[in-house]
Amino acid sequence: MNAAYDAVIIGGGISGMMAAITLAGRGKRVAVVSKGDPVCCFSTGCVDVLAEGENPLKGIRSLPEHHPYHLVGETGIAEALELFRGIMSEEGLPYVGDVHANRKVLTSLGRSKVTCLVPETMEFGGVDPHESFHILSFHKMKDFYPQYITSRCEKSAYSTFDAGITTTAGIAECFEDGGFLDTFVAWVRGRAIQEERIAVPAVLGRRNCGAVYHRIGAECGRRVFEIPTLPPSMPGLRLFGGLKNALLRRKGDVYWGGGIYSVEKLNDQIEAVTLTGPGRNTRVEGKAFILATGSFVSGGLQASRDAVMETVFNLPAYFPGTRDVWFQDDFFAAGHEIEKAGIRVDASFRPLGTEIENLFVCGSVLAFSEVMKYRCGHGMAIATGVAAAKTCMGAYDAV
Amino acid sequence: MIRTDVIIIGGGSTGCGIARDLALRGIEHCLIERGDFATGATGACHGLLHSGGRYAVNDPEAAADCFAENTILQKIGRKCVERTGGLFVRLPGDSKRYRDTFLKGCGVVGITTEELSPSRALDLVPALNPSLEEAIRVPDCSIDPFRLCMLNITSSQKRGGRILTHHTVTDIIREHGRCVGVTAREEITSGVKEIRGKIIINATGAWGNQVARLAGGSVPITLSKGSLVVTNHRITNMVVNRLRPASDGDIVVPNEAVCLAGTTSIPVADPDGIGVDPAEVDIIATQAQEMLPDFGATRLIRTYAGVRPLVQSDGENGRSISRGFRIIDHGDGLFSIVGGKLTTYRLMAEKMTDTVMAVFGLKRPCRTAELPLEGQEELSGYPLSKRLKNLEDIVCECELVTTDAVERVAGQVGTRHLGDIQHRTRLGMGPCQGGFCTYRALGIMQEKGKMTPEESMAMLRAFLQRRFKGIKPALWGDQLREEQLIESIYLGILNMEQEQ
Repeated sequence: MNAAYDAVIIGGGISGMMAAITLAGRGKRVAVVSKGDPVCCFSTGCVDVLAEGENPLKGIRSLPEHHPYHLVGETGIAEALELFRGIMSEEGLPYVGDVHANRKVLTSLGRSKVTCLVPETMEFGGVDPHESFHILSFHKMKDFYPQYITSRCEKSAYSTFDAGITTTAGIAECFEDGGFLDTFVAWVRGRAIQEERIAVPAVLGRRNCGAVYHRIGAECGRRVFEIPTLPPSMPGLRLFGGLKNALLRRKGDVYWGGGIYSVEKLNDQIEAVTLTGPGRNTRVEGKAFILATGSFVSGGLQASRDAVMETVFNLPAYFPGTRDVWFQDDFFAAGHEIEKAGIRVDASFRPLGTEIENLFVCGSVLAFSEVMKYRCGHGMAIATGVAAAKTCMGAYDAV
Repeated sequence: MIRTDVIIIGGGSTGCGIARDLALRGIEHCLIERGDFATGATGACHGLLHSGGRYAVNDPEAAADCFAENTILQKIGRKCVERTGGLFVRLPGDSKRYRDTFLKGCGVVGITTEELSPSRALDLVPALNPSLEEAIRVPDCSIDPFRLCMLNITSSQKRGGRILTHHTVTDIIREHGRCVGVTAREEITSGVKEIRGKIIINATGAWGNQVARLAGGSVPITLSKGSLVVTNHRITNMVVNRLRPASDGDIVVPNEAVCLAGTTSIPVADPDGIGVDPAEVDIIATQAQEMLPDFGATRLIRTYAGVRPLVQSDGENGRSISRGFRIIDHGDGLFSIVGGKLTTYRLMAEKMTDTVMAVFGLKRPCRTAELPLEGQEELSGYPLSKRLKNLEDIVCECELVTTDAVERVAGQVGTRHLGDIQHRTRLGMGPCQGGFCTYRALGIMQEKGKMTPEESMAMLRAFLQRRFKGIKPALWGDQLREEQLIESIYLGILNMEQEQ
């Protein structure tokens, strides 16, 4: 049993972590409670802000009026992204890029993906299809097939290294070992690669990726870049690890691995949540609560045959019509109607349609965020996480 | 040009069964199939090896055929039949009189039945509705239609049968008023082949009229769409039927790692381009839940629909039309075999082959009921544990398919498509429905030089669309979560586009 936290953040994904770090960075006592590792571990690790246009921040003006970005505003978004960048550099996982300019990275299918901030290991991933580069692949690697890329990028070629293991996480773990890295570097040098750039699936270590990345680049005299892979994604795991460390460094507490068991409410205030854990339940008391449980994939929202529910507080959730209009027929038509589902909030990120005073909502559980349609995933999570933390703090300080 | 004695059009269970029977009786033949084996109603049914119980009341003749064939297939096809047994359950409110008629009907036909008390039935299938009134046990089994077709084809290939999959028959060649051959177009290269034969058999099921029309003929069939849903695990280890007149949503069949629940019956005009309506899913799920209460909370991983080619009769609806079959002699060398069921495929093939033998004036007995299906020795059978020999390099985690298995099938002659691998290995048929392993399988196909990267991209794209079409009517709950994850992988991480 702990004394009440200044704020309890439910959800350990990017928005929840950014909210927690923002508050902890200003001396607040915070706790993050999470069912488990968040969905950002499955992501490319890149921070998409808004795919449309050259300057993602300018594009925000043309988003529909209910999009959560409007609650933060251009300046707020830019500040939040810079805060994120500062945090990640401190954790040894620097991000490169300009918040006012979109950039591209190569995907495992040989396509270019528009994003904004990228891990330094992907800095040189913006190849155009006619540029020459050399792919270093791994023997029988389960989730990476270089021919998908070489068929689209006509001047690319590949070589295959036998790591003795075929999974993404397994190969990444090998790179944590200095001896393995020595062998790999010697092999690359022996290939006498002509191309200016070297591409590698994103397996260059888990914790030490910076060192691995820079060593390969320096010893081979080539510009190296990682290509994001299918889950489990190393850049996604690194991103999550960095944020978690940043929070712990700021003396935030984390409660991991339990589901939310029950919510205690008194009048218009939430007082505590109880988590189920292995063998015992943990009660976490807070003065304010921030809901950052994400959308359907992470379980913040849940759909039944004909409705959408919010899973922790049973907040009123917006959803578009009946099930037959939730999805379009075309799989590739990004932007299915169901993406609009979520919690509607006021200008201070408090949920609409409820009496609760001390609850704030951020991240993709917000209604109208339409992350796939606008390709604004991590950017929206960072911006609303920081913004919700600020309004939460404002409300708290005023009390 | 290919010359042969008998041309079989259609690679469903009937066509494959005829190929085996002809092979065993020493008749040269060539089978032409526009896709892969079992891509029509054969592969889109519920995989039930009928005991005959379902037809015992209204269609005793079909029921008798089913019961006899059920017994034969259990004997000859051990590796594609799972002896699950089946129950007909009577719930509160279901007519007791129908139960009496049912038992009487089974008695007349000779179907073995056993009356079970509710507690005995619950011992056998704990997931049953505990308020059931009673259950009747019948020898229903579950059958793998893909395997069944492959094994029949093995007998044909061993004896020199020509098998042309991914070939569409574009024309029937007629000379002096007789059908003497066909032209067929290869799907990928569009190369055209001419095949000449003395007899042409139209075994194309729901597509029977399209083929008969090429020779100016027609067949008397009615098309009825039946939709099904797939659960993410086995809720029951026995087939569960509702003890009442045939109706929507009255059956749940365990099949490998999943259960299939259905069906509906909706008249359709065109066998191509059918889909499942969300309302059908709701009907099936609601009905199945009455028999198996857990069904309501079970994740549905896919829906699909097949088209039943029923022998036409006047003024009857799809449920009451006989499930019997007919052989139609068009009088010009073309024969059509229509109607029937997966369960009676062997009998249909036997009768069709008898007809061929009569035309040729040959007397060789049918042996397909006695000889076990060939090629079963190489199959693993059902227990998943048997597939765990090589834990490394598993490509499809849901169905435990290894890289070796994919590479072996990819290397076989005739493997052109992702579907060919799926049907032969069960890759992508489990809970994630190919979300992860398809990308891998196509990567391996490229590596093996079985297809160009462009072809594999086109196939991946088509696969994702087809998969989505099957999943969309049942998107809620955990399956919606899964789907959004798959969407974020293909459209987000890989940034895959619709057209190149």
